[in-house]
Amino acid sequence: MQLLAPERLVVADDVCKLLPDSGLVRGRIIRCSGDAGLSLALSLCSRATQQGSWLGVVGVAHLGVLAAVEHGVSLERMVLVQPPNTSREWSVTVSAVIDGFDLLVVAVPARLSANDARRVQTRLQSRRAVMIIVDNMALSRSTSRFSSEREPDPFVADVILDTKTKSWSGIDNGSGYLQHRDVSIRVSGRRVARQREHLVTRRF
Amino acid sequence: MLASKRLAVLQCLDWSAVVAAKSSNSPCAVVHGQRVISRTPAAMQYGVQVGMRRRHAQALCPDIEIVAHEPNRDRSAFDTVIRTVNELVPLIEVSEPGLIVFAVRGPSRYMGGDEPMALKIIDALKTSIAANSLVGVGVADSRLAANIAAHASAVASNRSGLFAPYLVEPDKTSDWLAPQSVRVLSEFANINRETISLLERLGLNTLHDVCALGESVLAGRFGELGVELHRLSRGDEQHQLVVVAPPPEHLCVEKFDEPVCDQQVVVNSVQRMASAFTEYFSIHGTVCVRIIIAFESEDGKRSERLWYRPQGLTASAIVESAKWQLEAWPVAAGLARVQLIADEVRADTARQLKLWGGTTQTDETATQAIGRLSELLGSSAVQIAKWQGGRDLLDSYELVSATHVQTIDSANSDKQLTVAKWRGALPTPSPSVVYNEPVQVQINDQHGKLLSVSARHELSASPVVVIIGATSYKVISWAGPWPVEERWWDTARGRRLVRLQLVCEKITVEDTPQISAMLAILEHSEWTVAAIYG
Repeated sequence: MQLLAPERLVVADDVCKLLPDSGLVRGRIIRCSGDAGLSLALSLCSRATQQGSWLGVVGVAHLGVLAAVEHGVSLERMVLVQPPNTSREWSVTVSAVIDGFDLLVVAVPARLSANDARRVQTRLQSRRAVMIIVDNMALSRSTSRFSSEREPDPFVADVILDTKTKSWSGIDNGSGYLQHRDVSIRVSGRRVARQREHLVTRRF
Repeated sequence: MLASKRLAVLQCLDWSAVVAAKSSNSPCAVVHGQRVISRTPAAMQYGVQVGMRRRHAQALCPDIEIVAHEPNRDRSAFDTVIRTVNELVPLIEVSEPGLIVFAVRGPSRYMGGDEPMALKIIDALKTSIAANSLVGVGVADSRLAANIAAHASAVASNRSGLFAPYLVEPDKTSDWLAPQSVRVLSEFANINRETISLLERLGLNTLHDVCALGESVLAGRFGELGVELHRLSRGDEQHQLVVVAPPPEHLCVEKFDEPVCDQQVVVNSVQRMASAFTEYFSIHGTVCVRIIIAFESEDGKRSERLWYRPQGLTASAIVESAKWQLEAWPVAAGLARVQLIADEVRADTARQLKLWGGTTQTDETATQAIGRLSELLGSSAVQIAKWQGGRDLLDSYELVSATHVQTIDSANSDKQLTVAKWRGALPTPSPSVVYNEPVQVQINDQHGKLLSVSARHELSASPVVVIIGATSYKVISWAGPWPVEERWWDTARGRRLVRLQLVCEKITVEDTPQISAMLAILEHSEWTVAAIYG
């Protein structure tokens, strides 16, 4: 008989209070949007990877590996996957990642169909993995949209963490270097009884 | 004990660039990502080297033709060369465009010796290769030695204008290899460059030094990799080959009842066989590194080709190879038979994935998923990050295929954060979004003039606005400029740039300011955004 894995994955103390269940509940989808989204996602994953969970980063093309290390992610259990872009192939790839990994950080492709999204979500629930959706931070001269505006995606997130950087501190007219930022994080989603807003100072 | 196989290597130097260039005399560089991967001899005259950044190459030679990397172009151009050599040598191995390997025993005996054979092949190729391209043939007892010899032959024939094959005497290969620099291991045997620089720092500069150290010492320090280094240095093949009973016939031969003309049908059946084939070897704890793919057409014509991959052939690698072989074999009649024959098999060291954090159930499940994903998407689409060290945001970690990791010492990774910071490294926190192809931007001062940096690393003025494409961002605060000089002693790979941290604001439609922090770089008088603190 196989013992059931604990119902939720632990998160670091500084992000614990953001989540309604003080941890990442298995089978659920969390969306980290806004201009501090990717950094928040890495914070959410770090403790779990240190304790043995594997993290699959799917389709996040420009992940800064140094940043992941600084957040505390265990690099030997982080695998970066470049999936195909078509709806069906993407969902097949993500399903394969779900089969083997406890934790996923994914960027959703533009044309994912509702059916394929539903398949992935069902698989996530039956395999009891956790998926964190982040925005694609592509930057080019034609689409200078790197602090993303929220894109609708076909997944129904259980918890939505919408970040908004208020200010950065540490630099001033040439001197210093970026050290901390004040971020407002709005917590909402279908598992959240009451929407609330946190103001946190983060080192990232 | 397998009889030593004397090998010949035919190498067409800089094949990618030679094929891409408009004319044989013009300087041309083929670029992948931001780096030069191949350049014509004319470009080399200007100092352009492989591994250099594109902008650096353009700075050295403004007229240089820059072409994007396109593997299909290299392959189809090489098909005529393959066909010509194939007429003289029945069984050849082509692992990448520009390189052909084959066993010399048969052809050499048939054509009257190693040298006449080499000369005859080059003669036959005179019509299919461009006039000024550098071609060399090397013959030796080990793959590494033959590769080095072929390269030397190609470079020598350029200088003298005459072609001369380089033949290493039989049984003298290890003596011949002894004085070679350890760098040949990274150039010709795909050993990680970091490992080689470590060897040099340990005082091992030639292959003789590596041999003298002894296999057990190297194994103790480097593990499986150490054993391979010793084997290569003494003139043996990189991997210890094992003998495994060949797979049952139904797994590796497919006979079609009706001759098949549709390539897709053939590819599907190769896919099925390749999966079963690799599974068979995997069950025995081995992996096939060299395979013969044989096609037979309805009218009796056969196409046989060797395929080699030192890390081991995966099912998708076999299918890729089969596709290339089919494309290069125009046959009117349909296909009647496909066969896969294992040529060289070695022990499967990819098991070392288990060294990571012990063999818990979680690790096993993840390892299996990695294997499945690599089969689905190709091993280059499934990667992990390995610590490499460096000042550049992009260079401190190297992304490697998750299935080809040699040894990961889990204890080391905990030390990563405490490793002495590289001087000149960017202060933490590091940006979470790092672009490997930085985007060109404009940074202007209050008068609308482009910002520049003096020789003493002073900004011409304060940055006021950042323009990316059609959008303007107001600069709220900034820090820098921080000069970075990499490898000042190396004219080829040296870099000089300055970094600037900027906090910008954009007014959005909802009239709320959107704050972003970014890292900008000025190199070769051009500003780019290299990373975002996202």
